[in-house]
Amino acid sequence: MKKLIEVDHVSNERVSNVHFSLMEGSLTTIIGPSGAGKSSLLLLLNRLEDPDKGEIHFKGKKISDFPISELRRNIGMVFQQAHLFDGTVEENLKFGPSLRKKWEQNDGVKLLEKVQLSEEFLTKEVENLSGGEQQRVAFARTLANNPEVLLLDEVTSALDMRTVELMEELLHKLVKEEGKTILMITHDLKQAKRLGSYTLFMNEGKVEEQGETASLFQHPKTAALKHFFEG
Amino acid sequence: MTNISNLSLLTMILFVMIPVSLSYLFSLGIGKSAIWSSIRGVVQLFLIGYVLTFLFSMPDWQGVGLWVAVMLVIASLQAAKRGKGIPYAFLLSLSSLILIEVFVLSLWILFNIIPFQSEQVIPMSGMIIGNSMVATGLAFERMKNEFHDSKGKILAALSLGANASQASQMIIRKTIRAAMIPNVDSLKTIGLVQLPGMMTGLILGGASPIEAIRYQIVISISIFSSVSICAMIISLVTYRFFFNRKMQLLE
Ligand SMILES: Nc1ncnc2c1ncn2[C@@H]1O[C@H](COP(=O)(O)OP(=O)(O)OP(=O)(O)O)[C@@H](O)[C@H]1O
Ligand SMILES: [Mg+2]
Repeated sequence: MKKLIEVDHVSNERVSNVHFSLMEGSLTTIIGPSGAGKSSLLLLLNRLEDPDKGEIHFKGKKISDFPISELRRNIGMVFQQAHLFDGTVEENLKFGPSLRKKWEQNDGVKLLEKVQLSEEFLTKEVENLSGGEQQRVAFARTLANNPEVLLLDEVTSALDMRTVELMEELLHKLVKEEGKTILMITHDLKQAKRLGSYTLFMNEGKVEEQGETASLFQHPKTAALKHFFEG
Repeated sequence: MTNISNLSLLTMILFVMIPVSLSYLFSLGIGKSAIWSSIRGVVQLFLIGYVLTFLFSMPDWQGVGLWVAVMLVIASLQAAKRGKGIPYAFLLSLSSLILIEVFVLSLWILFNIIPFQSEQVIPMSGMIIGNSMVATGLAFERMKNEFHDSKGKILAALSLGANASQASQMIIRKTIRAAMIPNVDSLKTIGLVQLPGMMTGLILGGASPIEAIRYQIVISISIFSSVSICAMIISLVTYRFFFNRKMQLLE
């Protein structure tokens, strides 16, 4: 496996000296207490913000050297809140692709299928959807751009257990079959254990500990992580 | 037209006394400011009466030029107050108000809708500039509020590859729409619910209703288009101030 993204000692007001890499075709989870800077870190990778210090590389090149829209499409992001646009589900799904005239008639159905929503949802107004449905539409909207990397911010937090399972299957498929690289924030430690091959533990803006998921959970080294596991 | 004599005008004091006594009776605490604002209003209007008389005695192009310039500056200052935090709010208001005034006035003169006389151009321009001022101020406020309230949506749009303009489309659309809606509504009920001020004035001044509505049509439609243009200019120019050059949301 080769390094797809390298985050090199990056700092800003909310994260400090963050250093890690994402392997191509892997799923990495981020865990940590509320306010640790997990969401703030994702913003840097999608270049919605830039770091004050440090560099981020994508495919060996500084992310600031890519055309910014292209980079954002390629390193797609799903936010903690759905942030859907006013209008129908279909209008939301086609937003990204139609900026480049890349939307086709039945793309919508295929995207909805991926996130376990039926075809009828296409014409529904987003304001009438449940929280979990909105979350999945937001996920599908990002998938519509077919990004190589997915930054996911607690995308299963509003779903019931059965749907969580189905979404986790989707994540597995995206990694194993489509070769996507995923960086995913989760509050659900069991989910982190189930899904990730690699895990970052963030606390007070820093990545305090990182490693293979299994060993990180079995043998936490820092006091902060031990404390976090004890809840 | 019958004249209101000074003596008749003085009886207005009785009318002022009603809200003032109500204020004391119910301790509303606005007695003083009711008296004060009435006096101020009277003085202001008398002054304007003399100023207009003076302006109307000047050659038309001078009177119009002078007073339109004054109105434009006052209106821009007022509109810019609502645009606090937006760079160049005053210059932006001033240039869009100038643009609209020149545009509307040229059409009026070009198509012989009104003659180029101070008595016609000044009051009509005042209505255009006044309404455009309100629309400009509201557009500023709307843009600020929308960018604040819809921050998440804008970030989502940017993250999907939209540039600043594409990500702002939803807000620009809302701002222009919001400026147009009240005009659409008032055009629908015009004359039925309320006789517009201008028409009322003309009729009181002795014009026939059919004459009066002609003016009202001109002014209502001109205001409608001015207000829409205002909101369009303000939103299309100001959205970029909310982003940096790297298509990142500021603040
Ligand atoms: N827009 C902002 N402006 C200023 N401070 C912010 C902003 N957003 C977040 N913060 C602060 O930055 C810190 C990190 O926030 P962040 O949202 O990254 O945490 P998080 O780890 O994602 O937390 P959670 O698990 O609750 O989502 C917090 O202290 C938060 O209050
Ligand atoms: Mg967060």
